[in-house]
Amino acid sequence: MNKSDARSEVLFQQKFPIRGGDFVNAGDSSCKIRNTLREIGIDSDIIRRIAITAYEAEMNVVMYAERGVMSINVYRDEILLTIDDKGPGIENIDLAMQPGYSTATEEMREMGFGAGMGLPNMKKNADTFKITTEVGKGTRLEIKILLDGKND
Amino acid sequence: MTERRFAHSIKVNDAKCIGCVACMKVCPTKAIRVRQKKAHISYDRCIDCGGCLRVCPHDAIIPLTTQLADLDRFKFKIALPSPVLYTQFGQEVMPNEVLAILKEIGFDHVYDEALVCEMINVATEEYLDENKSLRPMISSMCPVVVRLIQRLFPSLCRNILPIEPPREIAAKNLRAEVSEQHNLNPEKVGIIHITPCSAKMVSINHPESMARSHLDGAISIREVYNKVMMKLKRETGMLMMQTQNRISGIGIGWAIEGGEIRGLKYTNSVSVSGLLDTIRILEDVESGRLKNIEYLECLICPDGCIGGPLTVENRFVAKSNVLRLMRHFGGKKRVNGVLVKRLYRENFFSFKWAVEPKAFPPLDKDRNVAIQKLKSKEGLIKRLPGTDCGVCGAPDCKTLAEDVVRGYAKLDDCIYMCKGDLQSNGEKK
Ligand SMILES: Nc1ncnc2c1ncn2[C@@H]1O[C@H](COP(=O)(O)OP(=O)(O)OP(=O)(O)O)[C@@H](O)[C@H]1O
Ligand code: SF4
Ligand SMILES: [Mg+2]
Repeated sequence: MNKSDARSEVLFQQKFPIRGGDFVNAGDSSCKIRNTLREIGIDSDIIRRIAITAYEAEMNVVMYAERGVMSINVYRDEILLTIDDKGPGIENIDLAMQPGYSTATEEMREMGFGAGMGLPNMKKNADTFKITTEVGKGTRLEIKILLDGKND
Repeated sequence: MTERRFAHSIKVNDAKCIGCVACMKVCPTKAIRVRQKKAHISYDRCIDCGGCLRVCPHDAIIPLTTQLADLDRFKFKIALPSPVLYTQFGQEVMPNEVLAILKEIGFDHVYDEALVCEMINVATEEYLDENKSLRPMISSMCPVVVRLIQRLFPSLCRNILPIEPPREIAAKNLRAEVSEQHNLNPEKVGIIHITPCSAKMVSINHPESMARSHLDGAISIREVYNKVMMKLKRETGMLMMQTQNRISGIGIGWAIEGGEIRGLKYTNSVSVSGLLDTIRILEDVESGRLKNIEYLECLICPDGCIGGPLTVENRFVAKSNVLRLMRHFGGKKRVNGVLVKRLYRENFFSFKWAVEPKAFPPLDKDRNVAIQKLKSKEGLIKRLPGTDCGVCGAPDCKTLAEDVVRGYAKLDDCIYMCKGDLQSNGEKK
């Protein structure tokens, strides 16, 4: 196997369904991801960054979409977190990415959400952050976090 | 020092243990296995929460606290009781009586920790005023919480408030003061915490934020209980002459959950008690969910230290006693804020170094091997019955699977797997 193959091979993958509106179980998937990463010896600071992004992404699906799937993919040098949802999509991504922008309802704000910091926080903690969306269909996030290269 | 210093504060008494799995089932870090009808604690995983000690129906888990007899090696013995001690002897008994009796059962001097709790409140406010970038900060008061963070939430070590808890600060102050007053070698002064939990032994023997603890040991409330009770019965009324004005109502409140944050001007603080709720809130902190909270008080025992495993009084009664004492002594601040702030500037309260992460080891040091092991673990979990019966000697099926891939156990330790293998020819769907 040549070098680039080894790098692009998925070593481990886990998928978690997320249900829109399910505030009771919200946060479970990011919690499971965190445990998995601990077991395979990922550095605790990287785990924290992934925990934050996974949690924010999971919450956005719970708050705004119908349903979604979060998947974590471990590669040799990086971790890829993807979140696909079926939902309203985002009309104006630039606006949504602005710190403080939120369309959260009054009820959500009372629960402590809706500071408009989720997407900016994800971006801050990711090494690369990609968002694609189609209004009326859904949203996909691709978040990459690099592992320190010397770990093989 | 001649005393053996244990890295942990509990051990199994094999003579009493019958291998009933009660302790194994409650252990939050899955540190217990039952082998050959005896419980074994893996000290790599134990966080000294005392859960096993609480549930053991056979009294087979022994807390490794200091014994009264161990004190003879000190020339001058000082008792530094946790405020919880004041709540153990019923409604009528006041802190000063308890302190006076301690002097009669072998201590040369006693000191009320409650006042120092107030000092720590002031120091905490100073720290929060000056360091605003990281939130929430988490109290360093409960040694089990500190250990839990190191083990399960290593990235939160930096959130631990780098200020020593009241018992350490009180002891530090006392050693200097008393050895000077009585012209003693500081090493000959024994400062002994009277504790509701054995976990303090760990923070004394293996402190995480300094080279050496200021305390010389911790005697359990259970150990002094009978002695104090007997004296109280016999000598009521005779002990009332001690002054009460140094007892701090605010500090006594630290014995129950919420006591620490009650004295803080930072009202956007949260208190949590109990193991599961503590784990849950730390998960939220790690997810970045609680950044708007300034300060987090976590106590492992239900309702706080009055629920400690080495207490005697029912914790609900003890709680009511705390509330009554708080009313009695009032919410007036008794410490000299200016002095405390000066001491804070001189780093009198500070950790010597930050608490370091000590994460549980991954399935393997080599990440690729760990991933392979994780996959086979998941495969095993699917094959195991999921009944979590504990007969294999592991607390649940998942943990057996983990033990198997780590090489600590065999799959056919599971009774269902033996049976399943025999029948597997016919009935696989
Ligand atoms: N998966 C999604 N589907 C549809 N709209 C979304 C989705 N994710 C985000 N949005 C929109 O983008 C806005 C900004 O999201 P962001 O996560 O930054 O803040 P928030 O969720 O409103 O508040 P916070 O995350 O701080 O609780 C949301 O209010 C919502 O309108
Ligand atoms: S809550 Fe108090 S009694 Fe319980 S373990 Fe922590 S410090 Fe000890
Ligand atoms: Mg959000």
